[in-house]
Amino acid sequence: MKRNPGKAAMAAGAGIHPAIPDLAALARRGETDRRAFLRTATLLGLSASAAYTLAGLAPTGSRAASGAAGGTLRISMKVQEMTDPARFDWTEKSNVARHIVEFLTITGTDNVTRPYLAKAWSASEDLRTWTFKLRRRIRWSNGDSFDAEDVAYNFRRWVDPKTGSSNKSLFSGLSAGGVEVVDRDTVRLHLNKPELAIPENLYNYPAAIVHRRFAEEGGDLSKNPVGTGPYRLDSFSIGQKAVLVRREKSAYWGPKPALERIIYIDHGDDPMAGIAAIASGQADLNYEISPDQLELVQSMPQLQLFEAATAQTAVARMRVDRPPFDNAKLRQAVQACIDHDRLLELGYRGKGVAGEDHHVAPIHPEYAALPKQRQDYALVRKLLADAGHPNGVKLSIDCRSAPSWEPTTVQAMSAMCRPAGIDLKINTMPSEQYGDIWNKTPFGFTGWTHRPLGVMVLNLAYRSGAAWNESGYANRDFDLALNRANATLDIQERRRYVAACERILQRDAVIVQPLWRSIFAVGSKRLRGYRLHPTNYHQLGGVGLG
Amino acid sequence: MCLFLLKRLGMLALTMLVVSVVVFLLLELTPGTVATKVLGQYATVEQQRIWLETHGYFDPAAERYLRWLAKLLTGDLGESLRYKTPVGDVLWPRLLNTVILGAAVLAIMVPLSLALGVVAGMREGRPSDRVISIVSVVTTSVPEFASAAFLSALFVFALGWLPGTSAMSGGFNWRELVLPVAVLVLYDFGYVVRMTRASMADVMTQPYIRTALLKGLPFRVVVLRHALRNALIAPFTVILLQVNWLLSGVIVVESFFAYKGFGALLLEASLFGDIFLIEACAMVAVVVAVGTQTLADIAYAYLSPRIRFA
Repeated sequence: MKRNPGKAAMAAGAGIHPAIPDLAALARRGETDRRAFLRTATLLGLSASAAYTLAGLAPTGSRAASGAAGGTLRISMKVQEMTDPARFDWTEKSNVARHIVEFLTITGTDNVTRPYLAKAWSASEDLRTWTFKLRRRIRWSNGDSFDAEDVAYNFRRWVDPKTGSSNKSLFSGLSAGGVEVVDRDTVRLHLNKPELAIPENLYNYPAAIVHRRFAEEGGDLSKNPVGTGPYRLDSFSIGQKAVLVRREKSAYWGPKPALERIIYIDHGDDPMAGIAAIASGQADLNYEISPDQLELVQSMPQLQLFEAATAQTAVARMRVDRPPFDNAKLRQAVQACIDHDRLLELGYRGKGVAGEDHHVAPIHPEYAALPKQRQDYALVRKLLADAGHPNGVKLSIDCRSAPSWEPTTVQAMSAMCRPAGIDLKINTMPSEQYGDIWNKTPFGFTGWTHRPLGVMVLNLAYRSGAAWNESGYANRDFDLALNRANATLDIQERRRYVAACERILQRDAVIVQPLWRSIFAVGSKRLRGYRLHPTNYHQLGGVGLG
Repeated sequence: MCLFLLKRLGMLALTMLVVSVVVFLLLELTPGTVATKVLGQYATVEQQRIWLETHGYFDPAAERYLRWLAKLLTGDLGESLRYKTPVGDVLWPRLLNTVILGAAVLAIMVPLSLALGVVAGMREGRPSDRVISIVSVVTTSVPEFASAAFLSALFVFALGWLPGTSAMSGGFNWRELVLPVAVLVLYDFGYVVRMTRASMADVMTQPYIRTALLKGLPFRVVVLRHALRNALIAPFTVILLQVNWLLSGVIVVESFFAYKGFGALLLEASLFGDIFLIEACAMVAVVVAVGTQTLADIAYAYLSPRIRFA
């Protein structure tokens, strides 16, 4: 290409981060994966179309739900309380809220993050100052104008410990004083450490933007559903139903979605209920099915099956700061019992990718391949002897009873541990009960949802003192490597630091990670234009019913 | 009679008191989890402590129990942690749903099982009796979750005749009631048939029946006027006891078909740890259990002169 990539980008978008032209050159030469380039470039504020131009690809453009009429979409999903988006701890809660309130950015089913309420963003070279330009002429459903004050209010709320939001750890480099309102449409964040993934983090499910008087007016979205989104909450009853009705075209700033109404129906805990509802025409889509139900669904021609490869997983994590797992050799022994490929077969019917005990997935751009983890019983026995358990050891792991693949996988793990002398007893309990003890139990099997970048979960779960650090892991070397990774936007270089993080986690045997799972959902044949999001987020703008 | 009634009501009150103590001890002895449920998992320890203190959770257990009991007696059941509304708002509608389900089940099961039981009892030992007995035993042996899955596979997936769930999200719908009622009737009718059959067979061998026949009365009149009245006493009380089962024993069916009833409510509340709702449900279940027992005793005493005048 003869054009100066920098000039073309400038023509296509706002002023760009200085590192982008070099990255673009790398992408063109094939040294950086194009997808990874797209991700990084859009993270750094380049518009999607500009990024595509630079990478030499044609922009995709929004997908129209071809020939599909609007209508009412009924979704079978648990309808839980929906009080405060910043305190959401289950994805289902955010799915109902997602049509009422919106986010600054949006990560699509292709794992690329694009502008949403924020129309553009840019970062300083040291990645410690982020500036967001907001769209204009957006109105809240109560008539107020949407502007930077609302956004600043949300950021300050998230980092306030009194709110009790998990966003506080997600934006750990931000304090209330670091949120600056530059003008009506511009918010600037001053972080105390470099952060690469702020735009990606802004689409996490608890990061929806609420009105600046949210707490003042009761702090309950289900009772006072003020939002910028295309739907309004018509009725809401926990455990039963939520009805969302499309607002008039003039009231919403964006393209009018095809669906006139979206109804969420709660069918309880039985996994068959959702499928039965769709098969008999009582619902058009469900939230998720487990791989156990794949055969059943595939045998029914009247149903559509949706699949997505994800970085969703669960980790058998050990509390490394107290006995018995404060002994690294014991942890390594447990890790060495596992044959990960076999575990994927047994636990999830092979529908996914085998885990490698370090929580970075092959679909993450900065994933670094390490030598394969192998099952080695001789090593296990030696480690056990060194750890002071020459005659074997009795351990216990806590696991929730649903989704079914989790206890199934833990049972397979236990069976793999037995021949080496580790008697792993499994303690299964209801999900809500596990939710009370997930970060206190010495050995627990905890589910983790998909995140687009590898560093994100490392920041949330393995950094010293992080809110969701359920294993009590605190390793300075790991933190330093992670800080460097967070500050490095070049994918190749970041991969080196992430490789270091991976190696440290594996060596310290903090977790045994069985697999990365693909997820599935079921819909009726009438459903058009639906793509399953790796995080089960319901992005229904292009969906219609035929 | 009055004394009998008073004694039974006294037993009811005492049972409720004992159950209330047990339930309270089981659920409210460790106050920590209540705060987590209300404030969310990311609340700080300090915030939890303040909330617990404001709501009186650090008072001695006995005091908290008496306070709770006093509120219960005045009709204040507390607020549901999951639904964030007063317990009554959730409990009574769901209870009504189960009552509707139970009423539908009884409306079909009672005539069906009584008729079959009477026929089987009258023709004791004959082929029709054998067939009825075998069918009754087989259907009662198949657990509800199995018959629910089987009927669902047949009528929802294979034939597509009936709706797969009974959430009644579009308002009350008779078609959504068919499968849950069918499963419950199938499971329960065999038991009542066998009870009725035994009772009927026993009555048919009584001397007074023989006398009536020898007197020359038509067989039909003998059965309707003499045999049935005596034969139906035992099944009647058994049916009353089924009411208790229809309240909380239907959890499996309600859960499978997503029917928003009392059993499913108790299940969800237990899984979630919704303490006040569980306590209220437990009290309701006790009232129904002891109440139906009492009613059954009274009915039996009333219907059977031998007991009444004993």
